Amino acid sequence: MTDPLLSRRALVRYGAYGAGAAALGGVAAGWDRLTAADIPGRDDGSLVIATLGSAHDAKAQRALREGFREVHPDIKLRINAVQAYDWSDFFSKILTQIAAGTAPDVVYVATEGVQLFAQRLGVPFDKWVKRDAAELREYFDDVHPSLVESMMYEGSLYQLPVEFNAADMYLNTRRIRDAGADFPDADWTRDEFTALLRAMKRTSGDGFTPYFWSNRLWGGVVPWLFANGTNVLAESKAPGGDWLWRTFYPEAERHGRGGGYRWTTPVADSDRVAEVYDYLASLVKDGLCTRPEGGDGRNLVGAFSSGRVGATPAGGFWAGGLHLAGMKPTDYDVQYFPRWRTRRHQFGAAGYAVLRTSKKQEEAWEFVKYAIRKDTLTKLFVANQTTPARRSMVDEARYRKTGPAHWKTFYDTLDTIASTGPIPAPPQVNEVEQLLIKHTGSALASPGAVRPALRRLQGDLEKAMEREI
Amino acid sequence: MTNTEIRPAPPAPPAAPRRPAPRTSARTRGTRLLAALFLAPTVVGIVVFTVVPILGSVVLSLFQWDVIESPRWAGADNYREILSDSTVLVSFRNTLVFMVLAVALQLLIALTLAITVNGRMPAWLRSVFRSAFFFPLVLSAASISVVMKYLFNEGFGPVNWLLGTVGIAPVAWLTSENGAMAAVILTYVWQQFGFSFLLFVGGLNNIPREVHEAASLDGATGLRKHLSITLPLLSPTLLVASVVGIINALQVFEQPYVLTAGGPGDSTRTVVMVIYETAFEQLRFGTASATGVLLFVLIMAVTTLQFRLSRRFVHYQ
Repeated sequence: MTDPLLSRRALVRYGAYGAGAAALGGVAAGWDRLTAADIPGRDDGSLVIATLGSAHDAKAQRALREGFREVHPDIKLRINAVQAYDWSDFFSKILTQIAAGTAPDVVYVATEGVQLFAQRLGVPFDKWVKRDAAELREYFDDVHPSLVESMMYEGSLYQLPVEFNAADMYLNTRRIRDAGADFPDADWTRDEFTALLRAMKRTSGDGFTPYFWSNRLWGGVVPWLFANGTNVLAESKAPGGDWLWRTFYPEAERHGRGGGYRWTTPVADSDRVAEVYDYLASLVKDGLCTRPEGGDGRNLVGAFSSGRVGATPAGGFWAGGLHLAGMKPTDYDVQYFPRWRTRRHQFGAAGYAVLRTSKKQEEAWEFVKYAIRKDTLTKLFVANQTTPARRSMVDEARYRKTGPAHWKTFYDTLDTIASTGPIPAPPQVNEVEQLLIKHTGSALASPGAVRPALRRLQGDLEKAMEREI
Repeated sequence: MTNTEIRPAPPAPPAAPRRPAPRTSARTRGTRLLAALFLAPTVVGIVVFTVVPILGSVVLSLFQWDVIESPRWAGADNYREILSDSTVLVSFRNTLVFMVLAVALQLLIALTLAITVNGRMPAWLRSVFRSAFFFPLVLSAASISVVMKYLFNEGFGPVNWLLGTVGIAPVAWLTSENGAMAAVILTYVWQQFGFSFLLFVGGLNNIPREVHEAASLDGATGLRKHLSITLPLLSPTLLVASVVGIINALQVFEQPYVLTAGGPGDSTRTVVMVIYETAFEQLRFGTASATGVLLFVLIMAVTTLQFRLSRRFVHYQ
């Protein structure tokens, strides 16, 4: 008789282990996926609002919370202020919360994420806007239709704009005076802009950067592309939205409006795009502006306010920052972006989106309506950290203390330049932005690099736009 | 036919009777239970926070998942995709270049400073140096990188200003391919060398003084003593410092992310940056996990190679 490979006792033991493992596996397979929401106390029944942490300070958040409680004492509100460097970082963190099973009910979303959220996560506001049209009429009267249109996707409205920033040109008036130049006219051209940079460079010595720009989607290459009448993605408009325009806007303002922007076909290798990069390359070569990787908004306020930068594209959000940095209103001013083939400007806007996963969508809509009220926005936007979407809030009193003198430029960029539009932000926006930043860096890294870099940008954009999101 | 007698093989010795396993005493069982209890928190921690995520990553690398919808089976598609993606391949090359340069510089600086600080100097000054060299390690890499970005700015950064005072033209630290990699390496090494420095100080203190004295009697001086005595006897510490240094360097993220965002072009884009961008910016968690698995394999391979080589070059006293 041969020895058994396993003793009976061992057989029984391993059998028990196997049965235990199988039972555990069965339980795990049959159990609903555990999420962070299952942690006791995590879901207290509040309506959760995710905001970009740096957008509102603690005082503003308290005001938002307390004001809402007065109007809706039955709805418990929790503000989840997500700290993030920029919108891309903010969306990444929101997506992490969604993956963890703790999705907020309402998210503050900028143009960069409007279509991504609309396509994958958002609830259209159409039914609510139609239902509450009378209540909302005053809001739409006060908000430019371009901002509203930028929050539409494939015919439906997904957000109500709360704030926006167009890329106008901030100028250091001290440096302009030192250069013996005049403050530019509203209709100034690209060549006049270049001449001004040269004049400032001549009189400002070492360590001075005439034109500082950040390599990113908002305010980087895009304002120049718009000024030259082009874009990296061909732009068109989706059909639909007629009900909205007919309900809230007069004939003159609804002309040419549609159901939201479409950015589909890459055109990064077109001649006009190359012209823009050639122009920027010439500024870099002549020492008139920073290289794309050298520009960083984090250093910019300090550099501009201390007179080391002559000009930079920025929106109303900069007035508050410069004031906090100690800059006198007389030492800087703002003008439209210089004209090239067109006067088209770019802007980015932001507002609240309601998530499809929310079980409190009606309450969330009530919050959205509360958040666009003038008294609410007045409490939030006290430090000129942005441009309010409501025209009536952009007034002399707001800018008396901080400047700039030409504060009207901020809203007039929408009111007087009809072609002004949003930065290109399709649902694939994160990859588009990443590719734009990467290849812009390559294009301006060395002489003769523009066209090869734009060809690579075109190829990569084509792949990105084909990718299903 | 021969008379050769075929003798039967000697009988096999009887099988030794199986001895019953010694019974463990109650005291031994109690000791084992106590040991298991002490080990349990660490083992549970490692399983929950290391083993499960690693296995999860491997599983996820076989799916397409965008966080929002349910994962879809992809098989080896994610691996095929990243192996044909030029950005991923460039990021592996950048990471390896970074690893070689940064770890070599880090070890060289740390060893030189450790030998210097271990030399003749007042005890209080030695303490000051030790603290100063270790201090950057406790700071946040992101914060340091933000400051370094300002220091390395081509237009108004103090580094170029200082170079200018001795007649050196401004260097495009963050805006040229070589300059950007140099800035990332310098920032990383400045923060990280303190750890290797402390290891080397400890290792140097463990070298018996008599060995140095004997070498001196034999006529060995400065560099010869370091090459023939200090380095061989410090080799176990060098191994630890290089293994830790290489593993850390292969996972570099904060410095290139904040300083250069991977640019110009892809010149400073590292593997971990690609993983982050693929997962959290492009919502391709499966592809990101596949890249992470490849990085894991690379780290394992490099570390295994180091330990294999260490048998030839490391001398234990």
